[in-house]
Amino acid sequence: MSNWEIFTWITVIILGFGSVAVFVLFVKDIKEILKKFHKE
Amino acid sequence: MYEIATIDYIIIALYLAGMVGVGLWFAKKHTDFEDFFLASRSLTTPLLITTLISTYYGIDVLFGDSQLGFTNGVVAWFAYARPTYAFFLIAAFLLAHRLREDDFKSLPDILDKYYGKKTRYVGAVTSFIYSLPALSLYGFGMLGEVILGWEPIMGMVVLGGIALVYTLTGGFWAVAFTDSIQFVLMCVVLAMAFPFAMNLIGGFDEMIEVLEPSYFDTMGDMSIWLIIIYASTGLSILVEPTFYQRIFAAKSYKNVRNALVIGIFIWGSYDWIITIIAMAAKVAVIQGTLPFDVAPDAALLTIMVAALPAGALGLFMAGVLSTEMSTLDSYCLVAGGNVAYDIYKPAFKPEASDQELIKTTRHGILLSWVLGFAMAISFDQMLGLWVFMASILISSVLAPILLGMYVPNFRKPLAGFLSAGLGLVSTVILNIYIMTNGVFDLEEETYIIDWFGIDFMLEFVMYITVPISLIGFFVGVLFDKGDHHE
Repeated sequence: MSNWEIFTWITVIILGFGSVAVFVLFVKDIKEILKKFHKE
Repeated sequence: MYEIATIDYIIIALYLAGMVGVGLWFAKKHTDFEDFFLASRSLTTPLLITTLISTYYGIDVLFGDSQLGFTNGVVAWFAYARPTYAFFLIAAFLLAHRLREDDFKSLPDILDKYYGKKTRYVGAVTSFIYSLPALSLYGFGMLGEVILGWEPIMGMVVLGGIALVYTLTGGFWAVAFTDSIQFVLMCVVLAMAFPFAMNLIGGFDEMIEVLEPSYFDTMGDMSIWLIIIYASTGLSILVEPTFYQRIFAAKSYKNVRNALVIGIFIWGSYDWIITIIAMAAKVAVIQGTLPFDVAPDAALLTIMVAALPAGALGLFMAGVLSTEMSTLDSYCLVAGGNVAYDIYKPAFKPEASDQELIKTTRHGILLSWVLGFAMAISFDQMLGLWVFMASILISSVLAPILLGMYVPNFRKPLAGFLSAGLGLVSTVILNIYIMTNGVFDLEEETYIIDWFGIDFMLEFVMYITVPISLIGFFVGVLFDKGDHHE
């Protein structure tokens, strides 16, 4: 496996898992924000 | 038009309906203007990451990066995309903190504080022109044609219209929410697409074997002048109105800094995978799997249609639509804010209520959409328009904002006004002059004019207009005998 390919797989992991992790944290935050809207 | 399965159409339709649903849900929930325009300054790190990344990546990046990857190889990432990350780091550690020190709501707010109302209005006009969604609407025309087989104008009206509806109704909350959904869709789908692309061409080693070695040359064979110009377009980040809006909308400076630092890894990965998939498309053309006459800017879409199974393709198409919708909605909102908050309120009705401001912002959003639509259907060469949009912001507001921010003694009203005004006017005049008197070079894909024996490209306008803006600034500092502002 070439260095280019290793680098590409690292970026695939960062993009795939990183974006899902950020989205999960977003969903956690959003619960709080939606509560605020329901109160109003 | 490509062959697309029914399941793919269903996925695209569900996605579009969901976006409108979010906008309608937020329609009546705004308490005041700050809530409508800045989501009550309550964006946390995850929301900032999603909205920053999805806004900054439109299809110009998606197809621009892939076009370069297809024709030139990894230089697309090393010379074009990479310098941008340096500017994001500068923004994270040197700029964001200062922007959060005051209660700013928009970029012209800063100019007003440093130089007064006149410079505010010039900044508002610059920001409004820069934010017109002409390129996004043009992109929707192209996407509608390629994905759904529609006439370009139909794609602009329907797809651009959906983004307009949820922005008009839901304001910044709807933009931030939809951006987040769009973010995860575009990132996951792209990460997923890589193994499919490799499978189509027979693996990564095959790519290294088939492509010329220059495809893996990190600096390619571009001229140093073009590299400098492309790298310096990254400067626009330092005065980007949608970027500023997100900094103002953040809960705290720490949230912005963390979002930018984490975001750089995701940005870098996104750009790299696009480059590699586009290079895989080149391999597929050489192998005969894809047609030999595939257009470089359609390479990414073409290889995805060939490589992805039904269902996954629908997700990819929705991801591509997401990329553009998240850009259009953000710019329309900023343009609307420029009309209502930066011009209408200070110039015509200082006592305007929050509800009135929200209403005027909505009118401004609509106005920006209509003007962007008119530009999208009347310009032949979108690339010329893109260069104009990028140069106008840097030439007009970069010098007064950064100099005023770091050297308080320079905050003289005449300095700000001359710098922003001369930068704006010279950029408009030079761009129009070169586009009307120059010739469009198909090989260089830009307008070129012969000046004193030099082939002067449209991209080089900033070499003239930025110095003009700087000269205007220092002439103003010298001749303005009054006290500095604030």
